[in-house]
Amino acid sequence: MSRYDALDLAERMALKFEVEEFLHREASLIDERRLDEWLALCADDIHYWMPIRRTTTAKEIANEFTKPGSMAYFDDDKKMLALRIQRLQVGRAWAEDPPSRTRHIVTNVRVLDVNGDEIDVGLNFQLYRTRLDSEEDSWIGRREDRLRRVDGAFKLARRHIYLDQTVILAQNMSNLF
Amino acid sequence: MAATMIASDRRPWVDAERGVVDRRIFSDPDLYRLELERIFARAWNFVCHESQLPEAGSFFVNWIGEDQVIAVRDRTGKINVLLNSCPHRGNTVCRAELGKTSSFFCSYHGWNFDLDGRLIGMPGQDAFYREAIDKSEWGLANAAQVDSYRGFVFASLDPSAPRLHDYLGWVGRLGIDMTALRGDMEVIDGIHKNRLQCNWKLAVDNLFDWYHVKVSHGSAMRIGFVPEDQMAPMDQMVILGEYGHGIGGPGVTVAQQAEFEARMKSGNGTPQWYDEAASQRMSPAMREQLGPVGTRSYGHPNIFPNLWITQFNQICLRIPRGPFQTELWWFTLLPKEMPAEQRRNLIHMTNHVFGPAGLLEQDDGENWSHSTRGAKGAVTRRRPLNYSMGHGHDRVQVDPSGQSRIETVVNEHGQLWTYRSWQDWMQAESWQELIAHHSLPPSERI
Repeated sequence: MSRYDALDLAERMALKFEVEEFLHREASLIDERRLDEWLALCADDIHYWMPIRRTTTAKEIANEFTKPGSMAYFDDDKKMLALRIQRLQVGRAWAEDPPSRTRHIVTNVRVLDVNGDEIDVGLNFQLYRTRLDSEEDSWIGRREDRLRRVDGAFKLARRHIYLDQTVILAQNMSNLF
Repeated sequence: MAATMIASDRRPWVDAERGVVDRRIFSDPDLYRLELERIFARAWNFVCHESQLPEAGSFFVNWIGEDQVIAVRDRTGKINVLLNSCPHRGNTVCRAELGKTSSFFCSYHGWNFDLDGRLIGMPGQDAFYREAIDKSEWGLANAAQVDSYRGFVFASLDPSAPRLHDYLGWVGRLGIDMTALRGDMEVIDGIHKNRLQCNWKLAVDNLFDWYHVKVSHGSAMRIGFVPEDQMAPMDQMVILGEYGHGIGGPGVTVAQQAEFEARMKSGNGTPQWYDEAASQRMSPAMREQLGPVGTRSYGHPNIFPNLWITQFNQICLRIPRGPFQTELWWFTLLPKEMPAEQRRNLIHMTNHVFGPAGLLEQDDGENWSHSTRGAKGAVTRRRPLNYSMGHGHDRVQVDPSGQSRIETVVNEHGQLWTYRSWQDWMQAESWQELIAHHSLPPSERI
C-alpha cells in the first residue's frame, strides 16, 4: 500500500485535485505556446525522458523499452529543455514555422506514491498535432511524472514518457509532451 | 509491364551534362516498383552490425526495399539473412523487431524453421502430408549472398551481384573504415525510427548537402547548439565511387589536419566539432588505412543505395516505404573500450542531434516532404530540379596513393553522382549489364 492509499478519502481527493489542476494548467501552457512559463514550472533537476519502445515477443517484453543511459528520443535536463524552447524563438525552426497546433489530453490520473514533498503520478495522455493544410499526428502513451512541492507550489521534477508507437509515425517530434 | 516499358525507353531522367533531374523519379509509382527490382533486390544492403547479434539465436529484423528480412546468428556463429515469410502461406514468421529465439515458428499452421532457415517441422507431416513433402525444399529463403565488412553486415538478394568487397570498392570501404576503425565498435541499444512523408532519394541526396545547413538548421546554430563555422565549412572534399557510392562534405587541408592534431596532443584549446573524429585519426594504423586523402575527409559517406555513415558515431538507413514514405533508422556505434564518461557524454549528445526529436533533424523532414509533394502535380513535376552547383567547374585530383578526390567549395557533385548512378542501375537489365555499362567516376574535370 502506498502512502497515498493510507490517506483518508478527503485527503486523497484534495491531493488529486491539486495534482490535476497543476497538470491541466501545465498542459495548456504548452498548447498555448507559453513555453517560457512552462519551463519555469520545471525543477532545476528535471529529467525529461522518452525511451525507445520496441516490438518484442511476450517472453522478452522486459526488453521493450531502452534503459536510461542508452538511446532515447528525449533525454533532457533543464538546460536542454531551455535550448529546445529557445530554438523555437530564434527563427529558422522550420518544423514549427508555421507553428503546429497541439492539444494535450491528460487523463486517468493516478497518484502512485507520496514521498515527503514529492508526489509520483501516473497518467495516460494523447497529444494531437495538426499542421499546415493536412499534416496530422497523434501520440498516445503513458507518463510517469514527479511533482515536487516548492514554496507552496508544484514543480515538475520528472517526466518519463512511454509512447505506444514503436516506429514513430511522424516526421518529427518538435513539440513537448 | 509498364515498368519494363519505362525502363526500355531509356529516358534520360538524369541529365548529367546539364545537372538536372526529372522530378518524376520522386513520385512515379512505376519507377518506384522498378527501384525495388533493380536497386534494392540487386544491391548489397546493410542489414545490421555484428554486435547486434551477440549469441546464437540473436536476431534483428530489417528491410531490403519492401522485402522484410531477419538477420540471425545460428548455432555455428554464422549470420544468416532470411526472408521473413513462411513458404506455406506467406505469413510473417518473426513479428518481434529484435530478440533471441531458438527457432522461427509460424503462427498460422506451425511450420517451424531453424536459425539457418531450414524447415525442421510442421504439424501433420505424416498424417496430412503423408510424408510426401521434401522439407529441404521448403525452408525460409536465404539471401543469395551475405557478407560483412569490418562488422557491418550486408546482404544481396541477387546471386549475380559482385562480391561485397568489390561492390563497395575503395570509396565504400573508406566510408565504413572512417567509423569502423575507431575501435571495437558496438551498436548502442536503441534505434531511432521514424517515418517521413518523402521519397527515399530526397533523404539520401541530402546527406551530401552542405548548402542547406545554415538555412535548414539555422535555429540550431543560432542557439549555439552546433557551431556555424564548423558545421558549414566552405572547404569541401568529394570522393566518388563506382555504383553510386560517394563521400561528400568537409575536407581539411594538410595544415588544418596538423592543427587539429596539435590541439588534441596538447590537451587544451576548445574542443571542436571534428576533434573527436580527428583524434581517432592520429594513430599510424588508422592513417595508413584511410590513406592520405581519406584522413583529411570529414564528409558523409553514402553506401549506395541508402546507408549514410555520419562522422558523428551514427549510421542511418533511409528505407523506402512506398514512393511517398521513407523510414529513417538511426544506429549509434561507439568503441567498446571508450571510457565510461566519454561514452555517456557522446550518447547524450547523439540523442540530441538526429532522430525525430533531434535539434538538427526536426527540420529536415519538412523540406524533404514538401520536395516530394512538389513532384506530384501534373504540371509542377514537369519542371526539372537543378543539381548543377559546381558542375563543370572542378578538377579531380589523384593522389600518388591512387585516391582521387575533388577539393572545392560547397557543391552538388555528390548528389548528381548519386542520380547519375541511380540511372545506370535503373536502365541495366541485369548485374552483368550494370557491370559493363555503369558510369565511372570522372578522372579529370567534373
